[in-house]
Amino acid sequence: MKAQDILSYSFSAIKLRKLRAGLTTLGVVIGIAAIVALLSITQGLQETITVQLQKGLATDTLIVSVGRGFGLGGEGGMGGANSGFKLLVTDTENISKLENVKTSIAIIQRVGSVRFDAGVRNTTIVGVDFAEYADIYSSTFVAESGDIPLNLVSEAVVVGKRVSDPWKNGTILCNVNDTAEIIWTNVTARPPTDKTYMGNVTAVLKEIGGFGVGGPSDSSVYIPISQAQSFFGTDECSMIIVKLKSGDEAVIDGASEAIRKLPQFNGEVSVMSATAVLNLLSSVFSIIQLFLAGIAAISLLVAGIGIMNIMIVSLMERTREIGILKALGMKSRTVLLVFLCESVIIGLIGAAVGIASGWVLANVVAIVFHGGGGGMFMGNQGAGTGGMTITPVLTPTVFLGALVFGVGVSVVFALYPAWRASKLKPVDALRYE
Amino acid sequence: MEIPKQVGKYKNVEMTLVATIVEAVDLKKTYMLGKVPVNALRGANLKVESGDFLAILGPSGSGKSTLLNLIGALDKPTEGKMLIEGADVSTLNDNQLADLRRRIGFVFQFFNLIPRFTARENVELSMAIAALSKADRRRRTEDLLETVGLKERMNHKPAELSGGEQQRVAIARALANNPKFLLMDEPTGNIDSKTASEIIGLIKRLNEEEAVTIIMVTHDQRLAGQSERIVQMFDGLIIQEVMN
Repeated sequence: MKAQDILSYSFSAIKLRKLRAGLTTLGVVIGIAAIVALLSITQGLQETITVQLQKGLATDTLIVSVGRGFGLGGEGGMGGANSGFKLLVTDTENISKLENVKTSIAIIQRVGSVRFDAGVRNTTIVGVDFAEYADIYSSTFVAESGDIPLNLVSEAVVVGKRVSDPWKNGTILCNVNDTAEIIWTNVTARPPTDKTYMGNVTAVLKEIGGFGVGGPSDSSVYIPISQAQSFFGTDECSMIIVKLKSGDEAVIDGASEAIRKLPQFNGEVSVMSATAVLNLLSSVFSIIQLFLAGIAAISLLVAGIGIMNIMIVSLMERTREIGILKALGMKSRTVLLVFLCESVIIGLIGAAVGIASGWVLANVVAIVFHGGGGGMFMGNQGAGTGGMTITPVLTPTVFLGALVFGVGVSVVFALYPAWRASKLKPVDALRYE
Repeated sequence: MEIPKQVGKYKNVEMTLVATIVEAVDLKKTYMLGKVPVNALRGANLKVESGDFLAILGPSGSGKSTLLNLIGALDKPTEGKMLIEGADVSTLNDNQLADLRRRIGFVFQFFNLIPRFTARENVELSMAIAALSKADRRRRTEDLLETVGLKERMNHKPAELSGGEQQRVAIARALANNPKFLLMDEPTGNIDSKTASEIIGLIKRLNEEEAVTIIMVTHDQRLAGQSERIVQMFDGLIIQEVMN
């Protein structure tokens, strides 16, 4: 029997049971749509986050923080140091002397709040050397209004865009020259005490829009490092940002190794490069994707069982028909193909519709996710996230994978019923009522 | 099938043109009905030659249908030999059996048409299985449906056709691949007597004018009366053979 005739024969059998075939196909559609939607959203999310991170992380900078492990910096300053090891502000001196290191600066940061005449805002208080920080992050640590003082001005406070304009609706909490009252609760003191630092807003940063890992963030307030030391009452710093002379991989690796091996650190620090962060991120996303795709695959598995069920029912209903076909001289192999072809048609239609609806679903989710306020951003979800746009990404791999997987599942689960159909003895099949 | 007309009942005389197409030698078939063995055939011998019009008669349970299934290569004997055109059915594999069945035209008591296909599509199906080209199928289907007198109803589905019409479609389908012989299982068993005589006429005509070899099981005395040879079966054996 010719391939075309097999196809049209299978098609006629499907057409006969439209509702049943439709429901079976729906199972495949849901499975494939779930896989495609989840994968294209996570793919889009990964790309968005990567882009955002690249804004906040220059490739020629390293972040030194406490801890043997590999983590996203010691944000709290106390993190991970079971041994009592502390990274000190003065540690920058030795780091700066290393080969290939251009400069290094210490950062002290604490979670606190800032009060203006117009209102209070939770924020991250960051103590940093303004001049050097602006030098390292020359594209992001930039004033939108006012000036970032390059010489030490004790009361100077630089605020992020989201601190000044948190809701993006014209309600401005502070302008240049306003008084800023920075409040930090010292929880290590007994009893915990609130400390207040009075400053003067000298600059509002222009919007950065990324995550501030090490780099400037829209939701932080910045004060001079020396002021931070006395305000927080510590010489311990949260991290040290190291600016290298180049962004070559060899330079990054060499400098990272040299910093880690500094005798004063005693192997207690971790050094993170932008490349490493991005690699870590992509491996985390791979795991997330695999996990989500796995969950979605379960629904496809259920669809597969549905196909098998339907094919077995169909096989029993059509036992006599199979007998007729065999009496007319159809080979067992052709009977097998006829049945497989039916499920391939179901799988193909299911996968095609599934990919399309998964893609639509992903876009709908993306729009709902950040389009609630009509803007392009997520708004202010607290400190850290400036704003995010997710554009779902449907890679050719996901497209083809979903197609192959959908058809594959259909074929695999149809194998048994098709095989049983092909093995029917013509005499028995013809006698079947 | 280059068999001249009118070989008819004189074929035994005109020996040169005669070929044995079906030969059963000491044919035995045992089924398991649950756990009870049933000896459906207990050593049947039969020879069918080209151009024959053979009727198999016998009470139910006498092994007629079993014999027919074996002749049609739908089943294999337990013992003995079933030779079709000299080939032993027992030695053929699945694919060879399928090829053999293509050269046998089956006509069933309950027509066994595919309900979702029209008359034309049902006839075409057997040729599609034999991988004939679309154009050839189309032409031949129309010829065949004309032969059985159903050309004007060829786009109707079985449900829209009477029993007699359905059986005529089935006969057209059986003839589609130029079969060596037609194998009929009570072809008039499920249609009214008036239509049955039309079918009988058609079968008779096919045998006489088109020289189609016919082997059939029937209870219909009128149909049996039209045949040349009547084989009487009883209890799994062929007990009598009569020339009409």
